[in-house]
Amino acid sequence: MIEFRNVSASYVAEHALLKDVSFTIGKGEFVAFVGTNGAGKSTTMRLCNGLLKPMAGAVLVDGKPTTELKTSELARKVGFLFQNPDRQICCSTVRDELEFSFKAQGKLDDAARAKVDAAIERFGFDPDAEPYLLNRGTRQLLALASIIVTEPPVIILDEPTTGLDYLECVKVMEVIRDLHEQGHTVIMVCHDMEVVADYADRLIAMTRGSLVAEGPTDEILRNREVLSRADLIAPQCISIAQALCNRHPELKATAIANARTVEDLVAAIEEIRGASPCAGAANASAGTDAANGAVLPGASSSQEVR
Amino acid sequence: MNGFLEYVPGDSFLHKMNPVAKLAVALLMVFACFITPSFMVLGLILVIDFFMAYSCGMIKQTLGLSKAVAGFSVILALIALLSTPEGLLLVALPWGYIGSESVLAAIRIVLRLVAAAVPLFLVFYVTKLNDLANSLVKVCHVPYKYAFVFTSTVHFIPVFMNDMAGIMEAQTARGVEFDGGFLKKLRLMVPLCVPLLVSSVRKTNSAAIAAEVRGFNLRTRTSGYKEYPFVASDYLYMLFALLLLAASIVSSALGVLF
Repeated sequence: MIEFRNVSASYVAEHALLKDVSFTIGKGEFVAFVGTNGAGKSTTMRLCNGLLKPMAGAVLVDGKPTTELKTSELARKVGFLFQNPDRQICCSTVRDELEFSFKAQGKLDDAARAKVDAAIERFGFDPDAEPYLLNRGTRQLLALASIIVTEPPVIILDEPTTGLDYLECVKVMEVIRDLHEQGHTVIMVCHDMEVVADYADRLIAMTRGSLVAEGPTDEILRNREVLSRADLIAPQCISIAQALCNRHPELKATAIANARTVEDLVAAIEEIRGASPCAGAANASAGTDAANGAVLPGASSSQEVR
Repeated sequence: MNGFLEYVPGDSFLHKMNPVAKLAVALLMVFACFITPSFMVLGLILVIDFFMAYSCGMIKQTLGLSKAVAGFSVILALIALLSTPEGLLLVALPWGYIGSESVLAAIRIVLRLVAAAVPLFLVFYVTKLNDLANSLVKVCHVPYKYAFVFTSTVHFIPVFMNDMAGIMEAQTARGVEFDGGFLKKLRLMVPLCVPLLVSSVRKTNSAAIAAEVRGFNLRTRTSGYKEYPFVASDYLYMLFALLLLAASIVSSALGVLF
């Protein structure tokens, strides 16, 4: 779907921000780009939808180089959610905002209006509301809705959870998960490793304009060397699981070793314990209690594994 | 050059001049441009403009700026050409005619605007905004509030330009095609003024609050530790600019057109 072949790119001719980057993202994948600020993640995203053209190498979208396509043409295939929704929102009502992309692409017909109505219903928007008066989370959702309403096969999200509170973040990410389950290819830049661990299938780690590693989320997040090279830290659940396995080597053969999320960790602990008082408590607090190790075999007290 | 109206470091004579002297010289040159009808004086001012730009290593940028200002002033020149029927008849129009004087007036507008724009722009490129504001406060006794408003306005120009570029980019990513004729581009850009206005108001409001909570109102004329003394060369450059102004007044009084 999207292929980078030895791509180098820059905003200023003499200074390459991205150096010889190659990777492929297949149809229906959920890929997250991770790395510190300045690693080249957002530059990579801008190359994907033609906002930036490569200095060397080629970026192919559906087999066609982006250099041969206008960004406005690519917009039909690649939707792009910017970090700051206020740069995207430009209409005076929510309905106008949702119709904007159809108008820009010359496709505002009855079918398009039906999609806009469906989006309004799905997100619970007031169609006549003034977008700038909505709160930050709702504006982010509106920006996301206005991108996905045209149903582009690829959706790029540049730090979609920045500035959102926990519930807003979950709401946005659940919408993104639904899109992925419907078959959209999702490419996301994210600094929140918990979100990445929860939602992404594959990770591409970057540092200083180069790829450090790519692979399944589990593999990358458990690889200390890769995380260290990309200046990243593993999500808490993985750190806890690794700490447990280090202190109790017998756990390496259990599901704890592969736990990525709170739910995984709770399930693994419950599996080891068999039926337990905290069974079924797949929530954050129960997970924390369980992860503290109070119930682990061989551990005399929670202090041992803290 | 880093960006529009952003300071470019250097050690040319323009960089070393007192900020107030620089501003005074630039303003005197601007007055001279607008007073004189003489092509010779305007030409002389242009030569001085480009010499100053050359001396601080910004000839390329100045050429770019001159091109942009000339492009804009052509619109005004056209209006003058079509609306001031003076001199010998060259082309008859339904509402009058284009005369030889109309052509000269149109050319004069372009030269005048370019010659006046260059020294003003150079002042910003060779002077740190803080120095400009502080020297105005210390030397000219301008209230700091007004100096701050001035520097903030200039400071926000590149910020807003960057915002506009970002907004246009976001709309391009949604399928808007900004390439095409001037009118089409204008039609597409008008609605984008809304997000720009919103972000501008938010930014200026945040900046005002941030300044307030950091004790903005406690500042007085004596708060700045840096002094801006005038040296002999500053007086010399100002005298030279005064002579230019005098030449333009004389040329205007004598009606020297060439």
